[in-house]
Amino acid sequence: MRNRNATAYRFLTPYLLIFAIFWVWPIISSFLISFQATRTVPWRFAPGFNWGRLIGDPAFFNALKNTLLILVIQVPVMIALAMVMAVLLNSPLLKARGLYRFAFFAPVVVGEVAYSAVFRLMFSLDFGVVDKLLNSIGLPKVDWFSNVTPAMALIMIAVTWRWAGYNAIILLAGMQSIPEDVYEAATLDRVSKLKQFFYITLPLLKPVIVFCAVLSIIGTMQLFTEPFLITERGGPGGGTETLGLLLYRQGFRSLNFGYASAVAYTMAALAIAITLVQLWLTREPK
Amino acid sequence: MATVTLTNVAKRFGAFEVVHGANIDIADGEFVVFVGPSGCGKSTLLRMIAGLEDISGGKIAIGGKVVNDIEPADRGIAMVFQSYALYPHMSVEQNLSFGLRMTGNPKADTDRRVKRAAEILRISELMDRRPKKLSGGQRQRVAIGRAIVREPQVFLFDEPLSNLDAELRVQMRVEISRLHKELGATMVYVTHDQTEAMTLADRIVVLRGGHVEQIGRPLDLYDNPDNMFVAGFVGSPKMNFIKAHIVGRDARGVVVELAGEEKTRITQPLAETAPEPGSKVIVGVRPEHFGGAGEGDADLTVAIDVVEHLGGTSFLYARTANGEDVVIQRDAAKVPDTSEITVSIRKSYLFDEKGLRLR
Ligand SMILES: Nc1ncnc2c1ncn2[C@@H]1O[C@H](COP(=O)(O)OP(=O)(O)OP(=O)(O)O)[C@@H](O)[C@H]1O
Ligand SMILES: [Mg+2]
Repeated sequence: MRNRNATAYRFLTPYLLIFAIFWVWPIISSFLISFQATRTVPWRFAPGFNWGRLIGDPAFFNALKNTLLILVIQVPVMIALAMVMAVLLNSPLLKARGLYRFAFFAPVVVGEVAYSAVFRLMFSLDFGVVDKLLNSIGLPKVDWFSNVTPAMALIMIAVTWRWAGYNAIILLAGMQSIPEDVYEAATLDRVSKLKQFFYITLPLLKPVIVFCAVLSIIGTMQLFTEPFLITERGGPGGGTETLGLLLYRQGFRSLNFGYASAVAYTMAALAIAITLVQLWLTREPK
Repeated sequence: MATVTLTNVAKRFGAFEVVHGANIDIADGEFVVFVGPSGCGKSTLLRMIAGLEDISGGKIAIGGKVVNDIEPADRGIAMVFQSYALYPHMSVEQNLSFGLRMTGNPKADTDRRVKRAAEILRISELMDRRPKKLSGGQRQRVAIGRAIVREPQVFLFDEPLSNLDAELRVQMRVEISRLHKELGATMVYVTHDQTEAMTLADRIVVLRGGHVEQIGRPLDLYDNPDNMFVAGFVGSPKMNFIKAHIVGRDARGVVVELAGEEKTRITQPLAETAPEPGSKVIVGVRPEHFGGAGEGDADLTVAIDVVEHLGGTSFLYARTANGEDVVIQRDAAKVPDTSEITVSIRKSYLFDEKGLRLR
């Protein structure tokens, strides 16, 4: 047995080496860097330097506030939407099921830059199709890029568009694993389709919903592409700057790696904390 | 309590017809078992009665009322599924009461019905458990309990015991019998197990390939099968079929000679319309209808391959001189040590080449 394990590990060595160098080491290294002052040459150990700055930095709190705001609005809306899409996909009445499944999933595989460019065009003030539509039903024009509230809404719309279908496919897989005869039994019990959804589908789908929520929370905590490309680096005036963007600005614009590492660790810790709270809130009763 | 009447009931999935015009009359309070090999349409018929499948042709009436266009919940039936179909996230108590709670039944009445069902099935101590924490037999009881709570006129069971081990199956079989006596409701029960069918049924409906082959009381099917399929299906081990041909007629009836056994001639009292001498026929003999040499109509000597001792009785797996396999049931004490045995045929059935009974 031991011999077999040794052979297995030898086969795994190339992967483990790469994993150690490009995964484990950066994680450790960035943790160490977060305790160093990196604006001086050479870097020196100064534990309070970055962490001290973090707790008093208005830019950090602005990014944190924006990230959490997007999180608490966008994630629930998206999962509710994904649920509706999954129910529709699961309906026996649906024709051309494969086509819809593809269409819902497609946003995930579209290039980030291409999709951001399309969103910028669609929401542009002068020739955007969205404002044309709003206008045609008698609503006023919205300048999506120069006011904070519409800009935040735009980010949330974009992220939701991109990931709702992905979550819908996961939820659909969960729904299809619920045996058909449970619904048949409920139908014989005179339980309406709507009540079947709320009293059977939702409770049985809870683990899958929690899984989707955890994935989405982790994703949103790291949100970067949309505020970077769509609202042009967190514009207007930092109004949509997220933690991911702050990290990028500090690390790769100002080359302040120590502070960027501290932000990165804060993001990871927050994601873990929120996920744990959520798992605890939705745990199975004994 | 209600009758169930199927008139020319057909079922098609697309162009594929799986039930071909079934006519079945089930009396009030009767226990009827649908039996047949896998894929013969038993479940499909049951699900049409329940309303879970549309009816492609014909009529189904429950309690004299045609239910073709009536919602499943309004048909006065309850169904027990093969897989139990319990709600996994609910306790036993919630499983039993779910339907009544969802439809706004008064709480006192719901509690009364749940309590009664739990008492009938002896699951009162399990009320707080989830299905995951129950044994197979207990889950089965809960599934039956959920049907009882509905107080239906007709119970439908789809192979309810097939997921249980042999011992539990016998025990639950007895319980279902008891339940039928206690509730007096009409019950329709699907199985592919002929022992279950024989022991439970007031009447059995034998199905094959979407056709009703025969309907009758268990012993009628055993004593008087209409065709080779029913003859082979009812009884265990199954009836032996031996090739033969008709040689003539005497005062008592038609004389049949087993193929390759010139001395083994059987006389069967047949109607005038018996086939011509020389026509090929098949003789059916149940393992238990072989007697000692000289005890019956004709003697037959066979070579013994294998002997199975079950205690009181034994089964001999043997071959005729013509190379046909036969199973013979004997008292354990009467099994010889020799490799050959001569037995008599005490009772036999005659079938034509298409498998239809000649009588
Ligand atoms: N939804 C369906 N679509 C197409 N064909 C079906 C469908 N359901 C059942 N069938 C076919 O109908 C026939 C009868 O099926 P049914 O389930 O009634 O058999 P059964 O007698 O209950 O068999 P078993 O003992 O294996 O449960 C089978 O040939 C099956 O393949
Ligand atoms: Mg079946």
